[in-house]
Amino acid sequence: MDVNEKEEFSGEKRNTGYDSADNHPSDWRISGSNPVSTPFGSYSTENLITASCSPSQMMDSFGQTLWYDPTNVQAVGYGGFSGGHPSSSSSSCLRGNMDRSLEMGWSMPNLLPPKGNGLFLPNASSFLPPSMAQFPADSGFIERAARFSLFSDMVNHPLGNPESVGLFLQGQCPSSEVNVGVATTAVRDPNVRSSELVSKPNVSEDTQSSGQKGGETSSKDSKKRKRNRQNSEADQSHKTEEEAENNGDKKGSDEQSPNSPGNKTNSGKQQGKQTSDPKDGYIHVRARRGQATNSHSLAERVRREKISERMKFLQDLVPGCNKVTGKAVMLDEIINYVQSLQRQVEFLSMKLATVNPQMDFNLESLLAKDVRELQLRGGSSSATPFPQNMPMVYPPLPHGFMQQTLSSIGRNITSPLSPMNGGYKRQETNGWEGDLQNVIHINYGAGDVPSDPEAAATATASLPSSNMKVEP
Amino acid sequence: MASAYNPIYTDVPEKDVFALHFLQTLSNLRTQNSFSSPDNKTSDRVKKIKKAAYVSMARAAGGTNRLWSRSLLHQAAKRNNKNVRFLRRKRRVTWLMRRRSNRGDPIEDVAAERLRNLVPGGGGMETSKLMEETAHYIKCLSMQVKVMQCLVDGLSPK
Repeated sequence: MDVNEKEEFSGEKRNTGYDSADNHPSDWRISGSNPVSTPFGSYSTENLITASCSPSQMMDSFGQTLWYDPTNVQAVGYGGFSGGHPSSSSSSCLRGNMDRSLEMGWSMPNLLPPKGNGLFLPNASSFLPPSMAQFPADSGFIERAARFSLFSDMVNHPLGNPESVGLFLQGQCPSSEVNVGVATTAVRDPNVRSSELVSKPNVSEDTQSSGQKGGETSSKDSKKRKRNRQNSEADQSHKTEEEAENNGDKKGSDEQSPNSPGNKTNSGKQQGKQTSDPKDGYIHVRARRGQATNSHSLAERVRREKISERMKFLQDLVPGCNKVTGKAVMLDEIINYVQSLQRQVEFLSMKLATVNPQMDFNLESLLAKDVRELQLRGGSSSATPFPQNMPMVYPPLPHGFMQQTLSSIGRNITSPLSPMNGGYKRQETNGWEGDLQNVIHINYGAGDVPSDPEAAATATASLPSSNMKVEP
Repeated sequence: MASAYNPIYTDVPEKDVFALHFLQTLSNLRTQNSFSSPDNKTSDRVKKIKKAAYVSMARAAGGTNRLWSRSLLHQAAKRNNKNVRFLRRKRRVTWLMRRRSNRGDPIEDVAAERLRNLVPGGGGMETSKLMEETAHYIKCLSMQVKVMQCLVDGLSPK
């Protein structure tokens, strides 16, 4: 799914300029208003979305997961599309983002309440123009749509007339708490790197159009915006949206504060990965700063995540690493542990050499003793099947047991290796010693059997079973 | 660690498998003439035992299914027979090294290098794969240590 999404997004991203935006103006609109407005729920959003944007299916997934896959985001390069829609639809100039956000928005209506996807695309409102007929006559919605349509134009012509936009915004959303304020500020900012239309999903829209589609910058902004949105949700204060965007201020200055408190900044989605949690109103943003369109950075991120996941696994493995945090220290600990284990092996081998200078390992006695020892230790340290094996293999006389074990080993080793039978000499276990030596010769590197490692591997696999099969 | 959930596959056979392999290897050693002769130096014997331990561990842990064990066996075979297999790996190593050099967090790279030196066969692995192999290697090493400890205890004069 991620891959597909990525492809879709990248495809969209590749659209020069904002073709996608043009193609899917409805997306804008749709995403604008959706999540919060109830009417949206009744809309055939699905139809709209799918019709307008291909990534709709992706949006669904987003809606579900709320976790923006950074790869997808990156691919899309929706830097600008921060659209913070914290809760409302924010349509960023980035068309691609819009599409995504739209999808999110659409899927969101259904999902938002339970999950409160951040990226809900309040952009639904932007859908209005094309799909006006489908939407209920919601004045606010219409206003938003109108506003967004204006912005869609802006996509192609970056904020030519900020004042007008501001006015437009202001006029549009009387109800929006912050929108007006924010919008105006946003509009006034000529530098808008990324044009983001932030519309509150709820009722007020906070639209901000900043530069249209500055992919990279927008990504940066979007990141910030996302945070801001999140914050805005929390504190409902906005206005610094611009600053946040422009300054890359990550703290949630709540650019989109207008979003209703309950809404999350779903717009973050475009920016990067955002997951909004309706409960706490925080969106986990994956830092995408300055990496919006870089596929390398995306891959890098994925790689880092893999590594950290494995580090956690190793942390459990190495004793005494729970308190240690940080990659470097953890790795040092792991290295020390491996070194200590290797030293232990060396030390024990030295001990073995001295304990038994003649090296006359009498397999029989050794196995008997070892089995006992292992059984004792196994019972105490780890729950292994060894104790279970013991009753099965040990009861008979050691010699008999050895014989049986060895013969079974010999048999099991040869049988699974049907293709390699040529390499093995099937020897009946008349004398266990002979059989054992044969087996050992084959297994140990000293032999010239070419299929050594495979044989060993298969032998290993068969050994446990053979042990189990030995009957007294 | 939730082995059930963990996608990283690091299951290790039980102790008896390791024990069996180790004993087999030792017996093989015993049959070698150089070993049984009393005038054998202890250090040589120690080396042989150590090598036997590693080889048997590699076999017990999965033979050639794991990278590190494969590399271990390969090293052992090379020393014994000069029969070099897995030539393919060398090419892959260079390609991977090229890739690895491009990316890298300096902190983790330094440590990863050290780890690569420790874990057999780590030279041709990416960091994430290296960590998987390290986890499995640690498990097998600890199992082998337990087996050897048992053996030593069993053989030591009471």
